[in-house]
Amino acid sequence: MGKLDIGGSQLDTSWFLLLGAILFTLGTVGVLVRRNPLIILISIELMLNAVNLTLIAFSRQLENIEGQLFALMTMTVAAAEAVVGLAILVDIFRVRDLEDIDDLSELKG
Amino acid sequence: MAIAVFFVAAAMAIVGGVGVISFRQPIRSVLSLVVVMIALSVLFLLLSAQFVFVVQIIVYAGAVMVLFLFVIALLGPARESGRGRLRFQAGLSGLFVLAFFGLVYAMMQGVQFRQPEKTDLSVFGTVQSIAVGLFTSYLYPFELTSILLLVAAIGAVYLSRRDER
Repeated sequence: MGKLDIGGSQLDTSWFLLLGAILFTLGTVGVLVRRNPLIILISIELMLNAVNLTLIAFSRQLENIEGQLFALMTMTVAAAEAVVGLAILVDIFRVRDLEDIDDLSELKG
Repeated sequence: MAIAVFFVAAAMAIVGGVGVISFRQPIRSVLSLVVVMIALSVLFLLLSAQFVFVVQIIVYAGAVMVLFLFVIALLGPARESGRGRLRFQAGLSGLFVLAFFGLVYAMMQGVQFRQPEKTDLSVFGTVQSIAVGLFTSYLYPFELTSILLLVAAIGAVYLSRRDER
């Protein structure tokens, strides 16, 4: 694995990748297990942040600025996703009180 | 020194991530996510991504999280009560996620990196180098993100208007 020279000390790139994988896994658990729709949106934000960390670690490792550019675009997409998701959520809550994401089952046959 | 900073920030991020998915009240999950974002911004600085660090603090920990807080203030403190109907599926998803993490970890072990050369870190990751990338080779995707933001703004305004529907 490549060693990064940061502030005079050696840091392994795989540590950053491992942290990104752990955070992404935590976000996946949140999406799958939690039932409050707001917390599901928050968990998706956590997953996007983990991806950003991985992109920037690779950007530093490969000395290529493109990873950081794509991290910025991920942030834009995350902001747009949060805005639209929260707007839909507020709209649903206006019609009725939603306690569980599984209550939204009108489309079930 | 950098190693100590890394481990403190990584521990903060993991504790915050566990907090996001384990607190019952949404407000605590949001505040845990702010902790994760600030810890990650420190890691971005370690990886000499200065501009992304600033954007992470201002846009993410600032704007997006305030949006979440406003929505929670609007909806009221909705607690998750008891266990859901899908108990069996929750255990299954835990198993699935564990397998997924094992797969990612195994894939990471096989990656061989070349040793990075001595980059000029006074240039790498600055606003200047980001801007040169964004406005030359990645101009088209950059303009597309502006359209994406416009569509999201229109969608949010449309969804939140208050009239007869």
